Amino acid sequence: MKKRIGKSRLGKPSIISEISFYLILGMFCAACIIPFIFVVIISFSSESSIREIGYSFSPQEWSASAYEYVFQLGDQLWRSYFNSFFVTIVGTASSLLMTIMYSYALFRKDFKFRNFFTFFAFFTTLFGGGLAPTFMVCKQLLHLSNNYAALIVPALISPFNIIIMRTFFTTSIPEELIEAASIDGSGEYKTLFKIIIPIAKPGIATVGLLTALSYWSEWFLAMLYIKDSKYIPLQYLLMKMQNQADFLFKNASVIGVEASKMLRDLPSASLRMALVVFIVVPIAFAYPFFQRYIISGLTIGSVKG
Amino acid sequence: MKKILALLLVACMIIGTLTACSKDSTSGGQGNGGSASAATNGRPEDHVTLKMYFHGSNVSDDTQVLAKVNEYLDEKLNVTLEPIWGTWGDFDNNAVLAINGGDDVDIYFTCSWSADEYNLFAKRGAWVRLDNPENNLLEKYGKDVWSLLPEVLTNGAKIEGSDGFGVYAVPGYKDIACQLCWDINVPLLEKYGYTVDDIKNTDYYGFGEILAKVKAGEGENFFPLLIEGAVAERMVDNSIIVAGDSGATNLLSYYINPVKTSDKGAYGDVILNKFATDEYKKYVTKTREYYLAGYIDPGLANAEQANNLRSEKQLTGQYLIGTQSYSLGYETQASAERGFEVAFVGTTPAYVDTTSSQGAMMAISTASKNPERAMMFLNLLNTDPYLFTLLDYGVEGIHYTKNDIGEVEFIEDARAKYSPWTNGMGNVTLLPPQKGQGADFWTKFKAYYGAADQIPILGFTFNSDNVSNELAAVANAAAEYALTLSVGAVDPETVLPAFLKKLDDNGMQKIVDEANAQLKNFLANK
Repeated sequence: MKKRIGKSRLGKPSIISEISFYLILGMFCAACIIPFIFVVIISFSSESSIREIGYSFSPQEWSASAYEYVFQLGDQLWRSYFNSFFVTIVGTASSLLMTIMYSYALFRKDFKFRNFFTFFAFFTTLFGGGLAPTFMVCKQLLHLSNNYAALIVPALISPFNIIIMRTFFTTSIPEELIEAASIDGSGEYKTLFKIIIPIAKPGIATVGLLTALSYWSEWFLAMLYIKDSKYIPLQYLLMKMQNQADFLFKNASVIGVEASKMLRDLPSASLRMALVVFIVVPIAFAYPFFQRYIISGLTIGSVKG
Repeated sequence: MKKILALLLVACMIIGTLTACSKDSTSGGQGNGGSASAATNGRPEDHVTLKMYFHGSNVSDDTQVLAKVNEYLDEKLNVTLEPIWGTWGDFDNNAVLAINGGDDVDIYFTCSWSADEYNLFAKRGAWVRLDNPENNLLEKYGKDVWSLLPEVLTNGAKIEGSDGFGVYAVPGYKDIACQLCWDINVPLLEKYGYTVDDIKNTDYYGFGEILAKVKAGEGENFFPLLIEGAVAERMVDNSIIVAGDSGATNLLSYYINPVKTSDKGAYGDVILNKFATDEYKKYVTKTREYYLAGYIDPGLANAEQANNLRSEKQLTGQYLIGTQSYSLGYETQASAERGFEVAFVGTTPAYVDTTSSQGAMMAISTASKNPERAMMFLNLLNTDPYLFTLLDYGVEGIHYTKNDIGEVEFIEDARAKYSPWTNGMGNVTLLPPQKGQGADFWTKFKAYYGAADQIPILGFTFNSDNVSNELAAVANAAAEYALTLSVGAVDPETVLPAFLKKLDDNGMQKIVDEANAQLKNFLANK
């Protein structure tokens, strides 16, 4: 960062630039929020309206039938909803613990294999194992199939989060603090959990939010490893409906008569949108919870990458 | 330190490449007689579990069915079946991963249109060659099913694979022929003084008068012509899909003979650019005329909604003439579903093409530890009515009941939790007929499909590997234009030339040339 050159430039931007910045930001906000509003509107549109005029901001007729249908899904819906919450909460907690411990070790200058383990984590961002080998290791070696572990373990560690976390430690924790702690007789674990973690809360919250988001919107793992409907998260339930509709639509000509019948039995577009609403709302509520940490957390990346 | 890291990196990369290449090489030496003690008849001594991967299923509770199935299988073959119920949405991805990953799945669904494509994966060595001269599983354990299948299927299954020319999967006996039909709303047609014969005696270009009369009578918001653009084009032009063509929007056409489908069509044994023929131009021009006259719903030009709109209008009878791919007995089923009389008028006789002859098959994976037992199981599944009915329809009394003449009526709630995809399971002729089909349904079925002619290029599958870049680019261009053109929503006078130019710019000719070179080669070897 450059040193500030003159106060006048920073004091007050001209009105024109202020207006244009607000306009740009406003447009950006609109671009983020409008699709979601659109989804909500579609979920409340009646089927016949969608058929007649397609997706529209002002449907011919409103209807809550999609939501009625969602509630009739019954057990599977609540089971999947529970799974999503369970995986997100347990996954985020254990992933945070792993990330903190890994990055704390990398942060400590007196750790002998620091460089090696930094590289070890970094390497995987450059060269992934590829889908088929990963699948083989997870399924055949680790037996991650049809259990909650299959939804949590493969996403436990993210090199990106480790790097953020480590950077946060290096910028916000003076080494003297650790020395002082050890002089006062604090063991390694006590130093980490009683001294470092309370200081690093903003960073942990940022990484925690990122992790929670990725666990919450994860459906690919479920597709790969979950066959038993007991463990299906809500996101994959939705994805399944979407994939089936797409596939049947594409292959209707080869599957023939049966395809049109099966397409008819599939949940409607408004139902799928209703499920999207179900998926988005809880995670949207997580933001305010993390927000007070986020603002201080966000500056981490800008100071040191 | 840096040097060591660099070395490590190189080592990782080399190991990665090596393991990726050597994956399949272990799978060649199958059939080592693991269960050689198995006698051809009678129950083998050692117990094995077979995993079988199905497509298109909608199964959330299979416990009752599997209890019965496994009780029966234990007694017959000393086998426990563990089905994997793949769905339309996840099969393509997961089955391919399971095959590439060498999962311990014994039997896979495969066909000419799924991602674990029969021909391709046979070449890659994923399937056990069933009539391998060294260990002829088909001869030893599969005689019953093989003798019962029609020749179209047994011939269609013989392909070039990793162990030479032979059979790599057991074809399912299902609706093996393809026929596209005009879907007629009979009560409405008769209301305006016409009969189904009037449709039979004319063709697409002669529908104008009937359509005009019905449109005038039913009013502004009624659209009598309910066509699926691509299907209608094939029906009118007598062109068919070339197996292996781009899936989303077909680009290639092969013209069949509309009177006798085993004879050569208008262009002979040549594959053409679908959009560049005179027939195509004539079709889109006429369709544009119908569109402008208000016979076609503009909603049909919207790819997102066209399919829903079409099935909804079919169900509620908001059409006069529609398009439908037909399977035997569908008129009864459709009439019952829609609540009015529906008739189907074919534009060609039923014919067998590659897609329909390799439409559903069961292949034994080279990763299977018990290929012999898997073959015994496939043989039993495809010949034993009790087992097949149990696995497909469920348990009598729980999932379905039978009426006086032996037709099956499903119990909706239970069936909703257990609905495998019937046509993907094997020999559907073993099943009792469903309600409304009539007791002699399968006799009619065998007669109808047995009489179907084979098209001259049966067995040919276009391999687009050499032109995959061009194919993707051209398919994109086609996705932009083809649907709107084929339902008449845009003016072919201006749009068609622009479309054709775009196709040419993206290398359409190269694809057509490649396809014809392959076809020539195929016909020479046949």
